[in-house]
Amino acid sequence: MRLRSTDLGVTFPSPGGPVHALRGVRFETRENEFLCIVGPSGCGKTTLLRVVAGIQSPHEGAVEHIPSPSDRNRDILLVSQERNLFPWMTVIDNAAFGLEMQGVPRGRRRKLAHEILARMGFEGREMAWPHELSLGMKQRVAVARCFLSDPAVMLMDEPFAALDCLRRLELQQELLRLWEESPKTVIFVTHDVEEAILLSDRVLVLSRQPGRVVSEFRVPFPRPRTAGITMTDEFLDLKRTVSGALGLSFRKEAACR
Amino acid sequence: MPVTSAWMTRLRDAVFSWWLPVAIIGTWQASASLNLISPLFFPAPSLILQSGWQMILNGEWQSQVGATLHRMLIGAALGLSTGFACGLLMGMLSPVRKTLEPVVSVLNSTPKLAVMPLLLLFLGVGETARLVPIALTAFVTLAMQTLDAVRGVDPGFVEMARNYGAGRSALLRRVYFPACLPQVFTGLRLTAGRALVITISVELLGSPDGLGRMIWMAWQTFATEKLYIGIFSTAMLGVLFHDGLARLEARLVPWGVKPRGR
Repeated sequence: MRLRSTDLGVTFPSPGGPVHALRGVRFETRENEFLCIVGPSGCGKTTLLRVVAGIQSPHEGAVEHIPSPSDRNRDILLVSQERNLFPWMTVIDNAAFGLEMQGVPRGRRRKLAHEILARMGFEGREMAWPHELSLGMKQRVAVARCFLSDPAVMLMDEPFAALDCLRRLELQQELLRLWEESPKTVIFVTHDVEEAILLSDRVLVLSRQPGRVVSEFRVPFPRPRTAGITMTDEFLDLKRTVSGALGLSFRKEAACR
Repeated sequence: MPVTSAWMTRLRDAVFSWWLPVAIIGTWQASASLNLISPLFFPAPSLILQSGWQMILNGEWQSQVGATLHRMLIGAALGLSTGFACGLLMGMLSPVRKTLEPVVSVLNSTPKLAVMPLLLLFLGVGETARLVPIALTAFVTLAMQTLDAVRGVDPGFVEMARNYGAGRSALLRRVYFPACLPQVFTGLRLTAGRALVITISVELLGSPDGLGRMIWMAWQTFATEKLYIGIFSTAMLGVLFHDGLARLEARLVPWGVKPRGR
């Protein structure tokens, strides 16, 4: 499924007057594109994802869904930074939750969940409770759950931000692997420019409040992409350019909070 | 630095828990044996135990305890089921909450025992009049705990479930109900304590059987040993319920376990 938006605007009331989280944000995705949105922390990125997911209604504009023949469904699923797993379900039940909501019978959904979790290294820990897991493992399960539900669009809100560097690299590679096996449109939000370039086909830079798309960069590197390419000259050049655009958006607008 | 082994820690904790009761009973027994205290008000623990043993042998203890338990559990079951449903509805549906919360709140502040004379007027001197205060206590406690629990459910989880396509029924079954369980168990523990107290009180006021009646009759007939047996049995029931519920919670709500410091 492709997405196309008209100028989106979201305003929140606040004691100091209305806060424009987003204003005039327009974007469009291509078929099965991995799109990254970078921007300074705190302003608008999460709100944008929530609007696309249908959780938050925009005060201006709308997001159009353009279905493709290859879509299994019209789901738009969101993976966030934290509070991702239900504490009262085991790992496997959490992973199978999407399938459960789709009406897949218990035996089958547990089997599918077991398969994907085994591939992600969860053999034997499926009956663990979320509170027994580290953050990295919880995020793994959240990503697994999302892929398992096979949505038309996947939204990810800085899912690896709270992880340490090594975990982050691991999960990035796992994400790319899963995505390549099961291509779909992904919108991945991050404040890490390197992560954005490594993962995506295209990077959008969002400004500080009020959030607007200030620049767009195509990422020309071929896939599959290993972590090693982050050291190449071309990569660093692009990183410099995007960081520059980000840096500009740091200085231009007024502080967020 | 010496290493403390696990059994030594357990031993030390056991000593902490038990030295005070043992000291009290020991002092009591010694004082009674030396005739330092009145045998009418403070019969020796050995005598109390003897009397208790007699009661167990002839079945009287079992029948009284059974009667109290029976009364308490029926009243509590009525109150808990309605209280839980009410709390859930209040928590999920705003109009229901606005209608019922003031009523529940007033009931909470009213001593349930004070309602007894009114009940006796309407229902006569029967078991129903005795069950109502117990049921009301359970109802009010659990309704308020459940309401609180439902309101405390993290909206992030509700959003997430909805995002994955959960409808009303799935939300109730897979989000609200399990999310509330830890606090509901707290409510159950509170209810157990309060229900026991009110059951004994109701029995004190007028009942054909039960520990409360036994305590009352013992007072009337100066059978002080029975008085103590009644009180200790009640306390013991309270501890059993509390402990039992804690264990049940550990089984049913493994995620609700919060790591405790020393």
